[in-house]
Order: sequence, then structure tokens, then C-alpha cells
Amino acid sequence: MADRRAIATAARLYFVYATRIVDARAARSTGRGRELPFLRLRFPGDPAIIRRRAKGASLGRVGRRAVDGVWKEHERRNCASRGGVCPPGGGVPTGAVIILFSFDYIAHYENQNEYYTMAVVFLGAMMGLVFSSNLVYLYVFWEITGIASWRLIGFYRGKTDVLKADKAFLMTALGALVMLIGILAIHGLTGTFDLGAMKGTALPLGISALLLVGLLSKSATLPFQTWLPDAGVAPSPVTALLHAAVLVKIGVYVFARLFLSTFVFDEALRTIVASIAGASALVSAGAALVETDFKRIVAYSTVSQIGFIFLGLAMGNALGAAGALLYILMHGLAKAGLFLSAGIVEQNAGTKEITKLGGLMRSMPWTAVAFLLCAFSVMGIPPFGGFFSKYMVISAAVKADEMVFGAVFLAGALLTILYLFRLFTKVFLGEPHGVLAPEKSRLMVACVVLLAALSLVGGLAVGWPSELARVAISQMLGVAG
Amino acid sequence: MTPLLLILAIAVPAAAGLLVLLLPSRRAPWAPAALAALTCAFELVLAVYIFPHDFAFTWPWMGFGAEFAVKLSRFSAFILLGIATFSFLVTAYSAVSMAKAPSSRRFHAWVLFTVALSAGAVLADNLILFLVFWEGLLLTLFAMIAAEKTRPFATAVKAFVIVGLTDLALMFGVMLTGHLAGTMSMSAIRLPLDGLGAVAFLLLMIGAMGKAGAMPFHSWIPDAAVDAPLPFMALLPGSLEKLLGIYFLARVSLDLFILTPASWVSTVLMGIGAATILLAVLMALVQRDYKKLLAYHAISQVGYMILGIGTALPVGIVGGLFHMVNNAIYKSSLFLSAGAVEKEAGTTDLRELGGLGRSMPITTICFLIAAASISGVPPFNGFFSKELVYDGALERGWIFYAIALAGSFFTAASFLKLGHAAFFGKPANAKRTVKEAPWPMLLPMIVLAGLCIVFGVANSLPLERLIQPVLGTAMKGAHGGTFAGFPTNMLLVGLTAGVLALAVANHAFGVHRTGRGIGAVDHIHHAPGLSSVYKLQATGALDPYRMLGGIVGVASRGLYALDRAIDWVYSGLAAQSALAVSWVLRKAHNGNVNRYVLWALAGAVAVVLAVLAVTGGGR
Repeated sequence: MADRRAIATAARLYFVYATRIVDARAARSTGRGRELPFLRLRFPGDPAIIRRRAKGASLGRVGRRAVDGVWKEHERRNCASRGGVCPPGGGVPTGAVIILFSFDYIAHYENQNEYYTMAVVFLGAMMGLVFSSNLVYLYVFWEITGIASWRLIGFYRGKTDVLKADKAFLMTALGALVMLIGILAIHGLTGTFDLGAMKGTALPLGISALLLVGLLSKSATLPFQTWLPDAGVAPSPVTALLHAAVLVKIGVYVFARLFLSTFVFDEALRTIVASIAGASALVSAGAALVETDFKRIVAYSTVSQIGFIFLGLAMGNALGAAGALLYILMHGLAKAGLFLSAGIVEQNAGTKEITKLGGLMRSMPWTAVAFLLCAFSVMGIPPFGGFFSKYMVISAAVKADEMVFGAVFLAGALLTILYLFRLFTKVFLGEPHGVLAPEKSRLMVACVVLLAALSLVGGLAVGWPSELARVAISQMLGVAG
Repeated sequence: MTPLLLILAIAVPAAAGLLVLLLPSRRAPWAPAALAALTCAFELVLAVYIFPHDFAFTWPWMGFGAEFAVKLSRFSAFILLGIATFSFLVTAYSAVSMAKAPSSRRFHAWVLFTVALSAGAVLADNLILFLVFWEGLLLTLFAMIAAEKTRPFATAVKAFVIVGLTDLALMFGVMLTGHLAGTMSMSAIRLPLDGLGAVAFLLLMIGAMGKAGAMPFHSWIPDAAVDAPLPFMALLPGSLEKLLGIYFLARVSLDLFILTPASWVSTVLMGIGAATILLAVLMALVQRDYKKLLAYHAISQVGYMILGIGTALPVGIVGGLFHMVNNAIYKSSLFLSAGAVEKEAGTTDLRELGGLGRSMPITTICFLIAAASISGVPPFNGFFSKELVYDGALERGWIFYAIALAGSFFTAASFLKLGHAAFFGKPANAKRTVKEAPWPMLLPMIVLAGLCIVFGVANSLPLERLIQPVLGTAMKGAHGGTFAGFPTNMLLVGLTAGVLALAVANHAFGVHRTGRGIGAVDHIHHAPGLSSVYKLQATGALDPYRMLGGIVGVASRGLYALDRAIDWVYSGLAAQSALAVSWVLRKAHNGNVNRYVLWALAGAVAVVLAVLAVTGGGR
């Protein structure tokens, strides 16, 4: 009974977040510049709503106070960046589907209260981070996501599970501490933590490097990538939530927020970030071709795709930044589908070792087709959404006269096609090993199919998300998209 | 007349495809095929109707230079007509040949999507829009090969990877072109071929050749010939992909870039064309399977088109485009004849065929016309287009001409062998009674064979109505501004006739030597030097796909090792050094008071020394 109540609370709280974002009724337009007619933004952690709907539920007093602070900040300066539209725009619907998926997935296990609480804390902190306009708040929310993901990854209590959770936490926390030094250095330089007040500052490369360590470790990019595949020990909805939809995109988002819209963009930084991103994309794609664990392969794929997002942002032009925002959205949808398919396969077949799987196309036709569609989107095949974002980020490299980076990422795109087909062939085709497990939960399959359909629709009606990205970028960069 | 007709040409097949997927196929198994054929008929009518017009239509799309711009030019109207014609004939044929196949519904849905995407690719006037349609064809290609359940999945993946690789190159080329030109509108781009421009051209060319199936992007086609349904072979590798690939190649060479005979890029194109002709036809020569033999010819014939366009001379370009049309006609006719043989005789293995001429006379006649056409026998259409290509090639260098001519010899030799083994001689299996194919299968073959004759005898019709308008008035032919009529260069005609005679003699020699039609080229197959190459090829070692797999395998293992090394820094090095430090500290704190006093003293000394060092010592 307690479990069910927790689920109900979690779901309600979650949908408070989700609905508030698109609730046009609540929007008191305070915006400067262009306003999106279909998506008037309000801060999702609106304290009035939290007080009314979720008394004492989960954010806790500290979190609520922090939220209040950010909210006042938001009211005062209306500085929540409209660039913040995209991560929640991608994260919220994806996160909703993932939570829905976990109703059936998690039902078999203990510690469900912890699971739902942490998932909601995580999403709430994510929202707080997105709408923070102050480096201290940003850091606080950043660490809250770290703690929540530590508990989520360590959901199972086995020895390796706990160890891998610790590893993820230590690596990201280490990066965050380095970033904190960078934040303090920025304060020393500008005398403020307010992002709006420090706009236009030229940041020395050393401080940029400190910040970058934190961003790269959170986004699981080379040389901090290895916690992400290891975190595959977590339940599949967690991996989908953390690795596909939200957590790893935080670093990318903050990068955009800091280096594109706040500080003066440094040419040297472009080369550094693009080189790291290129190496990261290739190394992890190569690893994905060798690995034999379903979820590790998908996780390496995420590391590889994050490289593409960094490439788009590092190029520093509107095309690349818009492409990166689209990439966050499209990749989130498709990769969540892949992780959730992995969850269905793992739970029903009892293994995630692809050498022990095979022929599941026959017993899991819906999962197989949905997996394939999501894979097409990740590969970047039109008319799936992934094509447009991939095109835009590589095109941005060409536009910035960085032909070499363009070519490197094309090689990355080819490897993407290869490892995803290898995975599909090994798991869903070929000779079956043992009993062919059926798809048990209809809800879980429906979630995966929904994500596949959204990936397709996102490409067919690409004008809409593209418009969103364009408006966000024009505000972030202060240029007409 | 409204330009929305252009949108209809894309939207109607797509909508029909969706409808086919939704049809209740159990109650009406004939419905998908019928709907597909009807839609393609509509497409044909539409293509004829809009042919003389010049439409353009632009719609804002996703920004960043991507507009939904479609434009009907002379060239795209001509290719659209071709797409509609061939898809109509093939769907009419597959309505019968695949009526009972369980995959009929999926197959026809994908055919319709293919038609929609092809129409879109031809009509698109924006490079990004073009790319979307073009790469979308990758999905339908994959789905059509994989339509027959899971068996041919490896082939489907192979096709997907190879064509996907060329599509990525194309994508990069599109980006470069757009970057250099500053616009994505195809009709506004006209770039010189130098520096990055040449790179962009080569990348676009790779994309076009990958679609057309030129070497080294060919190796999925023979595999697909075995695994995929036959109408697929006639439709995609047989006709549509050639039309699209060569359309884009010509578009790139004529419109987007300024290709001159003096450019090294032109020589590269001719080299690829010549190599494709010879290598693929040598492979075709030794095949023992009807469909595989045709598949290698589907590759080889692309070489003539690329060679023709690569000459950058009006005569060569006209020849290349004319050959594209002719090839689509006779190659789809040949594939359809293979389908008829497969359906009636139950096999396409040449060793088990023979003597079909008596039981399947109409198929045999259609085959003979198409085979004569592909071999370049006058007065069929293949002869005229080949002569034009030869003319251009000879002007650019005798070596290209010589290779193309050698290709003709082997083409003729392999079709003599194929015809002899399948339709003449003694039946390999005397007990089997074979009937003529049903009329709906024969009709498309007859229409195509008829076109072979019409486009040959009355070659002014396609040349003056369809192809020469593409080039505009700037490029005039040898006599009176037209390339139609009988070739003027009698030396070339004489050499062609000589080569054909040589092929017949070769065939007679081979048959005399082995006593069987199928053994007609054994003396070439087992010739010293060639035989070892053939043996190596049979193992698949020369397959570029296999090589790519090898390279990627090695590279990925190296990258994985790098990844593990980085992981070791955290999981191994960091953890071990933390343990080591704690071990040292633990040893230092052993509870002995004397030891602690010692540590405290040492610490005090260290502090004093440090202070002294910082303040600059005893002043």
C-alpha cells in the first residue's frame, strides 16, 4: 500500500512539473524580446504550487528555500534563459514516459519509495538548474542531481552495484569541485555570481578549463567517460533518465549557458572542446563496437553522441547551437527508447549479455521494431529527428571552416550505424539462445513505441522543434536566428 | 496550372503507401498490389501532364537555409517520367508475381514510399530537402530487402551500411557546397572546380555513385539479387537507383559545378567509369546464376554512364544520359525475364535451366531483344547510346575507349552464354514441364522490349525530346545540332561490329570446347592469371565491405583499449594510490606516544624551515 501511495505522490508531483511548463493559463507574460506563443514559460517549481499540491512531499525544506530564492530571482530579473526551453522541452516528455515505464518495471523490487523520491528530486533539481541564473544556485542544483543519481544508480544493493554508484558519484563530484574552484575564481574576477551581471566577461583560459572539467565529468565526455557505461548496473528506467534524457545533458546545457550566452567565446576554447568531443565520439563509438553488454553499448553510444552536441556548441555559430539544442531533444527521445528496450529485454530474458541473446524479433516484435526506429533516429537517417540535428551540428563545423572536425564526426556517424546494427542483429535476429522471452508488460512496450513514434514525428514535423531552437538561440546569442 | 501538382507527385504515393500499410491484408490479399499499381499509374499520368511545364514552389521550412523548395525543370521532368514509368511497369508485374507472397503488403508499401521519395529527390531544389529525400531512400531500400522476414537481413544491413556510407559523404558534400556557394538553392549554385570545390564535387559524386551502384560501392547488389524479391531488383538496382544516381551526377557536373574536359576531376570520373565497366563485367562473365549475372551487369552498365558524363563533352554527356534511359529499359526487362523464369522453372541456376525457348517463347523473344540491346547490337537502343559514349571517350583518350570496347566484348560474351544456357540447348531437367508466364507478367516485358526497339530505331524521339533539352542550346551535336540518327563515325561502328563478331566467335569456341552453353566462357574463367583472381574474389576477400569491416574492427579494438586505459586511471590507479596513501598513514599512527612526539617535533622543524624559506632566511 505504501508503495502505491508513493507512486501516486510521485506521479502527481511529477506532473505538476510537467504541466506547469506548458500551462499557458499560468503565464503572466513578463518576457522581453520574442515570446513563444505556444509555450509561455513559467518557473516549474512555482512555490505556490509546491505548497498547495505536494505538502511536505519531497523537495524538502532546503530545496524549497533554494527554489524560493531562484523564483524571486526569476521574478525580479526574468532571467531564466529561454535557452532553457530545450532541455526541459526534451527532458520533460521523455522523463514522463520514463516514469510511466517504471511503474511496471520497478514494481518487482524493494526500495520503491527511495526510487520515486530520488527520481522526483532529480527532475526537480534539474528544473532548478535550468532556470537558475546564479552560479551558486547552479552549483547547488548541480550537486543535488549528483546525489540523486548516486542513489538511483545504487538502486540494487549488490556489491558491484554500490561500487559503480560510488564511482559515478565520485567522478562527477570531483569534477564539480574543480568547477567550484572555477566559480570562485569567476567571482574573484567579476565580483558577482549573477550570470546576467557578468555577461560579456572575457574569461581567462585557465578558469574556462576549470569549469570544463566539471562540465565534461557530468556529461561523461573523454577523459571522464567511464562512469557512464559502468552505471548501466542501475535499473533501465534510471539509465534512461540519467544517461539519455537528462543528467548527461546538464553539462552540455550549462556549457551553452556559460560559454555561449554569458562569456565572450574564446577561439582557443573552440579547438580544445571540439578536439575533446571528437576524441570522445570516436573512442566511445569504437568501444561500443567491441562491448558485449546491451546497456554498456547503449551507454557508450550516449557518450559518443554527447560529443556531437559539444561539437555543435563549440563551433560558436547559431547553426551549431541550434543544432545542439535539437540534438539534446532528439537524442533524448531516441536514446531513452533504446535504454527502455534494453530494460524490456533484460527483465524478460534475464540477461543483458548480447552473446546470450538472439532471435528476439519473433517473441518481441514491437520492442524490436521500436528499437530499430529509435536506432535510425540515433544514426541520423531522415525522416527521423536525429538526422536534422546531426546535419546541423556537422554543418556548423563546415560553416566555421573546421573541415577536419566535420570529417571526424562523419566517421563517428558511420561507426554509429555500425554499432547499432551490430547490437540489433545480435539481440533481435539470429539464432535464439534458450527460451524466447515474450514482452510481458504492455505499458512498458507502449512507452517504447511512443518514444519511437515521437522520434519519427520530431523529424517529419521538424519545423516546430527547429523554430523552438531558433528562438532559444536568438535569445542566447543575442542574434537573429 | 498550380505548382501544387508537384506536391501531389510526392504526397500521393506517400499517402497510398500509408494506406497500404493500414489495409486489412487478410481479407483482400490483392489490394496492396492493386493500389500500388493504380498509384503508379496516377503518377505516370501526372508526370506526363506536367512534363511541358516549368513549375517552382517554395515553402519556408526549418530555417538555416533549409526551405521546402521544389522545381520542375526539363531534366527533373524527364527523370520523373522515367521513375513513374518504371515503377508502374514493375508494380503491374509484381501484382502477379508477388500476389501470394506474405510480404506483398509490406513490399508494396515500401515501393510506394520509394516512388514518393524518388519524386521528392528529383523535384527538390534545395540541397537539404534533396538530402532528406535522398537519404530517406536508404530506409526503403533497407526495408524492401528485409521484407522477406529475417533471412536476408545481413544483406539488408550490408546495403544499408554501404549506401549509408556514401550518403554520409554526400551529406558532407552538400554542406561544403552550401558553405562555398552561400546558398542551399540548387538552381542558384554554380561553383568552379578548384580547391575545396573539387573536394565538394568528389563527395557529391561519391553519393551519386553509391546510389547508382558503381564500384567500389557495388557489392551489396549481387547479394541482394539472391536474397531480395525480384521486382525489387528490377525496380531499384535495375532502374530507379540508376536514374537517381545518374540524374544527380549529371546535375552536379552540369549545374552545380563547372566541369570542363581540362579538369582532373573529369579524368577521375572517367577512370572510375572505365574501371567499373571492366571489373564488373568480368565478374558477370563467370556467374552461374541468372539473377547474379544480371546484378553484375547492373553495376557494369553504370560505368558507361559515368564514363560518358565524365568526358565533359556534349556527345559524351548526351550518350551517358541516353544510356541511363536505355539501361533502365533493357535491364528491368532482363530482370523481369529472370522473374518469369524463376516463377515458371522454379530456379535461376543456369546449370538447371535450358531449352526454355520452346516452352516460353515470348519471354525468350523479350530476353533476346533486351540482351541484344545491352550488348550494343544495332538497331536496338543500347547500340546508339554506347556509340555516343565511345565517341566522347575516344576524344578524351584512346585508353578509355579501349576499356569500354573490351567491356562490350565481355558483355556480349556473357549474354551469349546466358541465353544459350537458359533458353537454348537441352533442358537440364527433362521431367519438368514449363509453361509460359501469365500475361500480366509478360506485358511489362513486352512493353520494355518494344521500347528497346523504338528508342533505337527512332532515337530522335528520346534524344531530341527528352535529353537534349536538358543540356540547353549551348551544346550542339555534330550534324545539325542533334545527336539523333545513325552514328557518323564509321570507324567506331566498324570496331563495334568487329567486337561483336569476336564475341560470337569466342562463344562458338567455348561451346565447341566444353559442349555446353554454360561452359562458353570457361576458357576465360580458367585462363592463367585470371583464375587466381576469380578464386580470391569467390572467397569474398576482394569485397570492399569486408575490407571496411576489417579496418573498423581493428580500429575499434584499439579505441576500446584506449577507453579501458582511461578507466584504469580511475578504477585502478586512483583506487590503488588512495589505498597506498592510507596504508602509509595507518603505519604512521601506531599508538606509540614516543613516535607521536617525534612526528610533532619533525612537524615543528618543518614549519620553522618553511617560514625561514618563505621570509628569505636569517637576514
